[in-house]
Amino acid sequence: MGRDHRDDLLADLGRFSEPALYILISLADGPKHGYAMTQDIEMVAGQKLGPGTLYGAIARLEARQWIEPLPAEDRRRPYQLTAAGRRVLHHRLESLRAVARIGRARLAEG
Amino acid sequence: MAASERLLRLYPRAWRERYGEEFLATVGHDALHPQQVIDIVSGAIDAWLSADVRQATRTWRLAPSGGKAMLKSMMACGQTKMRFTTRDSLIGAGVMLGVTLVCSVVGIAARRNGWPVTGEILKSLAFPGSLMLSMPFTFLKGQPWKAQVVIVGGTLSLLVAIGYIAALI
Repeated sequence: MGRDHRDDLLADLGRFSEPALYILISLADGPKHGYAMTQDIEMVAGQKLGPGTLYGAIARLEARQWIEPLPAEDRRRPYQLTAAGRRVLHHRLESLRAVARIGRARLAEG
Repeated sequence: MAASERLLRLYPRAWRERYGEEFLATVGHDALHPQQVIDIVSGAIDAWLSADVRQATRTWRLAPSGGKAMLKSMMACGQTKMRFTTRDSLIGAGVMLGVTLVCSVVGIAARRNGWPVTGEILKSLAFPGSLMLSMPFTFLKGQPWKAQVVIVGGTLSLLVAIGYIAALI
């Protein structure tokens, strides 16, 4: 199965690729600030991102223009997905779905 | 001063200017768990070393509020995957080999000439020391010279101290 270049870009984030994926998923239903993201990610994925990891991933996503900051509200700055970020997330989720389908099929065979 | 504010000082100034306020708002003022402290410290190391993070914070400093187009264009221009060239890698490899060889030979010579402690230190320093000295040509390339001095010099000092203690035991 060939890999699209957008997958490679997400994989380029190294140990931040998984937190970055969670952040993209968290922002898929609208802008959120850091604290709201950690709460949402904990609820959805059961992973509690530490602040160092969270902002390491946010900086990388910003540098790639997959998310963008909005004007700060009080001391908190919300972020939103860009069109490029939405495409990357969509493609990544499609890849994961294909992998999950294969995994389930193999489990059923075994 | 809260622990989170003290830990925030570990981050580069540009990073603090960009993310400091929201970082503190996210962490809050509750006592930090040990895992959170480790995460924040490793995040600080990452902020000093990662070209991506430095790019994001540097661009933010240069772009005034409202300069969204400027911010985007600068980020697009600054996106690079390669931070060092093949030539840099070869130089780094050469430094590693050379320093390893010199440390090993001088260490053996020192030991044979009645300086066993110096010999042990040099031998134990050969590989990790050469790795550290090659880093300015590779992983640390483009980082501020102060950060390079602290990382390379600090690590080498620590390695010498450990080698000295190990030689005495």
